[in-house]
Amino acid sequence: MIVRALLAAATLAFASPHLHAETLVTALSTERVSIESNFTGSGVVIFGTVERDRQTVARADPYEIVVTLTGPLRSMVARRKERVAGIWINRASGELPRVPSFLAIATTAPMADVAGNRVRAGQGLGFDMLPTRGLPDALPPVRTEFDAAFLRLMQKEGLFTLNEGRVEFLSPQLFRAPIDLPANVPIGWYTATVYLFSGGVLLAKTTQDFSILKGGFEQTITDLAHRRPAVYGLATVIVACFTGWLAGVAFRRD
Amino acid sequence: MDLYLPIAEMPMNLFLLLGMGAAVGFLSGMFGVGGGFLLTPLLIFSGISPAVAVASVSSQIVANSASGVLAYLRKKTVDLKLGLYLTLSGIIGSAIGVWVYGALRGIGQLDVVIALCYVAFLGTIGMLMAVEAIRAILAKRRGTPLPVRRPGQHSWIAGLPLRVRFHRSRLYISALPVIALGASIGFLGALLGIGGGFIMVPALIYLLRVPTTIVIGTTLLQTLGTMAFTTFMQSATNQTVDVILGLALMVGGVVGAQFGARVGQSLRGETLRLLLGLLVLSVGLRFAVDLVARPAELYSISRMGGG
Repeated sequence: MIVRALLAAATLAFASPHLHAETLVTALSTERVSIESNFTGSGVVIFGTVERDRQTVARADPYEIVVTLTGPLRSMVARRKERVAGIWINRASGELPRVPSFLAIATTAPMADVAGNRVRAGQGLGFDMLPTRGLPDALPPVRTEFDAAFLRLMQKEGLFTLNEGRVEFLSPQLFRAPIDLPANVPIGWYTATVYLFSGGVLLAKTTQDFSILKGGFEQTITDLAHRRPAVYGLATVIVACFTGWLAGVAFRRD
Repeated sequence: MDLYLPIAEMPMNLFLLLGMGAAVGFLSGMFGVGGGFLLTPLLIFSGISPAVAVASVSSQIVANSASGVLAYLRKKTVDLKLGLYLTLSGIIGSAIGVWVYGALRGIGQLDVVIALCYVAFLGTIGMLMAVEAIRAILAKRRGTPLPVRRPGQHSWIAGLPLRVRFHRSRLYISALPVIALGASIGFLGALLGIGGGFIMVPALIYLLRVPTTIVIGTTLLQTLGTMAFTTFMQSATNQTVDVILGLALMVGGVVGAQFGARVGQSLRGETLRLLLGLLVLSVGLRFAVDLVARPAELYSISRMGGG
């Protein structure tokens, strides 16, 4: 994992016009979060260092780090209620093809201070720049009322979070970014992306995958429900009848 | 103590689930109804998605009615033939209900249809029950006996063709209203996550004139059969039955039901019907207020294609 991150960082460094720019080396505190029966939320910490060598230019501006943790992409529908014949029902709707089901952003400083709109739009970085129609563009995305509602509701549910100042530098080069995983965190594959900025310019970027999966027993039940739905249904009915029968016997008074 | 629900994909407090099961079980034991019409809204209110709530409650209703049916079978107050007619037609209704449920979820109109059905059915039935019970109580106070049913006195509904004899209920009535009733309850059960006892009981008493002693046991038998099928269908087609959630509700429910039944036996019939009527009516009103009042949040999001 670390080797891959190094390679990615090295490739990026060589591809950029600054030949001797900084490189990022990052690591996750865990690569797999397992959800057991007592799961009520968890956390993951992203560590990293800003690697410099002798030829790296001295920067006038401090380093700023932005970390994003993106959950599995899903196609969503946002709907708006309207009053029809006295009652409120869903009328107009807007589709959001392939948007993250979870997005946690942590930074060292307020997002607006880290980078300008144009830079962030190109990276799709920040809730205001998150692309809801395909890939990020050089221009800030145009928002419909449904996009806005989606972003607002996801934040309300705690699935989209922004923590400005949560990333801290432990030394001039070493930083850590703790990210909370709430109890309702979606299951699936996640991508942790670390951006290094200085003076509003993106210097380096790394990505790492990790997974949030159900534990043994929980996964067995889910597998059974999805792969053998008839067996699962029959087993549930038998369990229910047995529970009822047991209660009838246990509380029998005559 | 929190328990992670694998199909709902969220944790919930175990004692909250047991408590909800027990409270609803208590009421259902007291009134002889399934209690799904209370439990499903409670779960949705707790944050469980309507799809998982409706489907998982059906498994809890199976457990509850299974224990009830056993008790009534021992007392021999179940009309097996009538129960069988109602169950078979209920299964047909349930299959249609599961299908309609999926279709409505796809176009995003499931919530409003559920709410409208709750208002219509709970409102009407609750009102009828309350009014009837109040009249019975007043009549008793004044000392004027209510007109009692005489054998052979049937409504026009019973006189339709295809007559069948139900010995246990001492009835010789058309099979058509029986099948229509069973199918409607099965349909509503699958769509709304309710057993339908609170509709079935008055319908059997007032429409088909089944003797009151037979009604509850027979209703429970129909609920057991139809809901067992619904649980199976929801698992097989929508994969939304959470067995862990269902089990927690079952355990709370069956225990609560035992205590509820004891309290129910010590209350007078009219009082019981008045209380149940008011309870049903208030849940219906709650849904009506939500439909008419301007919602705090006009927007909602869901996964494309339901979920």
